[in-house]
Amino acid sequence: MKVLNYMAIAMMAVALVACDSDDNTNTELTGEGTTRIEFDNSYSGSDLLLQTAFYSANGTEKIVIDTLKYIVSNIQLETEDGTLFTVPEDASIFIVNEADEDSRFITIENVPAADYVKVHYGIGVDQDKYLQGADGQGDFLNQATAQGMMWSWQAGYKFIRFEGRFTAEAQPEETAFAIHMGSHGSSLDNYKEVTVNLPVSAKVRTDITPEIHVVADVSQLLSGEDKLYLEEKSQIHVDPDKSPKVATNASKMFTVDHVHN
Amino acid sequence: MNLFKLLIGVSVLLMGCNNAADDYIGLPTPVNFEVPANFPEPNYDFSANPLTEEGIALGKALFYDGQLSSTGVVSCGFCHEQSFSFTHHGHTISHGVNGEEGFRNTQPLHNLAFYKEFTWDGAALHLDLQPIIPITSEVEMNETIPSVLSKLQADPKYLYMFEAAFGSDSITSGRMLKALSQFMLQMVSANSRYDAYMRKEGEQLTPEELEGASLFKAKCASCHMGELFTDQKYRNNGLPLNSNFPEEEGRMRASGFSDDFYKFRVPSLRNVALSYPYMHDGRFGSLEAVLDFYTDGMVDNGNVDPLLKRDDGSFGINLSASEKTNIIHFLKTLTDYEFIQDERFSEF
Repeated sequence: MKVLNYMAIAMMAVALVACDSDDNTNTELTGEGTTRIEFDNSYSGSDLLLQTAFYSANGTEKIVIDTLKYIVSNIQLETEDGTLFTVPEDASIFIVNEADEDSRFITIENVPAADYVKVHYGIGVDQDKYLQGADGQGDFLNQATAQGMMWSWQAGYKFIRFEGRFTAEAQPEETAFAIHMGSHGSSLDNYKEVTVNLPVSAKVRTDITPEIHVVADVSQLLSGEDKLYLEEKSQIHVDPDKSPKVATNASKMFTVDHVHN
Repeated sequence: MNLFKLLIGVSVLLMGCNNAADDYIGLPTPVNFEVPANFPEPNYDFSANPLTEEGIALGKALFYDGQLSSTGVVSCGFCHEQSFSFTHHGHTISHGVNGEEGFRNTQPLHNLAFYKEFTWDGAALHLDLQPIIPITSEVEMNETIPSVLSKLQADPKYLYMFEAAFGSDSITSGRMLKALSQFMLQMVSANSRYDAYMRKEGEQLTPEELEGASLFKAKCASCHMGELFTDQKYRNNGLPLNSNFPEEEGRMRASGFSDDFYKFRVPSLRNVALSYPYMHDGRFGSLEAVLDFYTDGMVDNGNVDPLLKRDDGSFGINLSASEKTNIIHFLKTLTDYEFIQDERFSEF
């Protein structure tokens, strides 16, 4: 009986330690878990609605967005002490498509249990991946072609597809716009790395699957640090001046709103 | 008797099916890539895609298969004909599905293992990725990769060939592209009379050819350099703009930079006597016309390569009529007849 009591106490202690472990250093954690990252696309604080809603760009243009897709790749999670978990490359590339809810939730498996405070990822496809040939692309190639995220005249990915219609004071008639940003062969690398800080740490455990809620403020694409006026140019494809601006703006449109543990 | 034959036939067929479905398929047979003695080191990373007999055979089947196009008839080999060093004979610009026309001349295929970038404007950074362009281009094969894969998946021949080449019958874009690369990597053209002469294999060049060779070295080889006869750079050679294709921008199309306007990759001159017509738009029908252009036809289209500037400020290369004749004699020594007849590459 006594033995059983001791055992019960010991088990409770273990259980308490386990509960407590959030406060301990990561090195004491073992096992692996799963985390999910949600890419929630918004426009200046409002939910992004495709095809119907009007939004203002740079205060002078009115836009309707029909398509928003972008490539997220090379995901890394970072703990307080700077330990990086790099998601294996072939499981670390996704197309976020506003029109497809499932695509906005990225699930990352086999993550070492730890408290993560930062997420790093890329927008687009890095140059190394191209140079790896077929090996570098894996089945992502199929997804990308199926989603119209590759150009048909160059063997390259569109990192962002942002399409819709706009009007401006000088252009009252609704006009189509399309921004397709990617790298320009070996001439211009538009791949950008993004780091977002988590307001509270994401506590990955064997039995806890945190969800990191990333908000992308799509208004930044046109109205961000580098202003882009559709009136000036409404078709941006391989534009060595404007494409890098789109890339920079895109890399700055992400924040983490909250984390569910 | 006939029934007996039929039974044997059926049982062979059944055995064939059995093999494909259940039996162990041996490891693919490695193929060594031989670098010709007078060639540079290859650029292609063979460790990422080791050549095998089965991989090459699969690549060849794919290369000549019209299923890679939306209409089922335009294969890679449709525009890349072996007899003409894998160019589209008789076409200034290439034709795709439903008679659609592109706006560039088919480039020859040879020695691709030695190149860093592909197509006239460098739109592909890796040989494995190049086929995506013709497969998906509306004016070429007008297909999508997933659709091609589902056609291949429905074809028992390919289930067997993919398994033989890659160890399982999973048909993926990566494997398809690797197999196509394997087939194309094999296309090494290094057995012209010029090569035999360079490698001292007992071949002699005529005095005219030798004179042409030294003129070529002095006047052409700063761009058409080395044993590949190209520096693999993009240059504007002062072509008058082609009014049929006002959208043509050369490498600017791939880079966006206005400095790249009307620049095209310096083409290799191996097999050049076979790969007519010439230039990105196939505007010149003969080597004579090309050399006449370099002496008298160049224009200042705003971005001409400084190497082509004469001392007096005009653009062009100074060549007499007899010099041109000798250069052409030399260029014809670059024809590799073994290559264009090599059964490893032929459709039938």
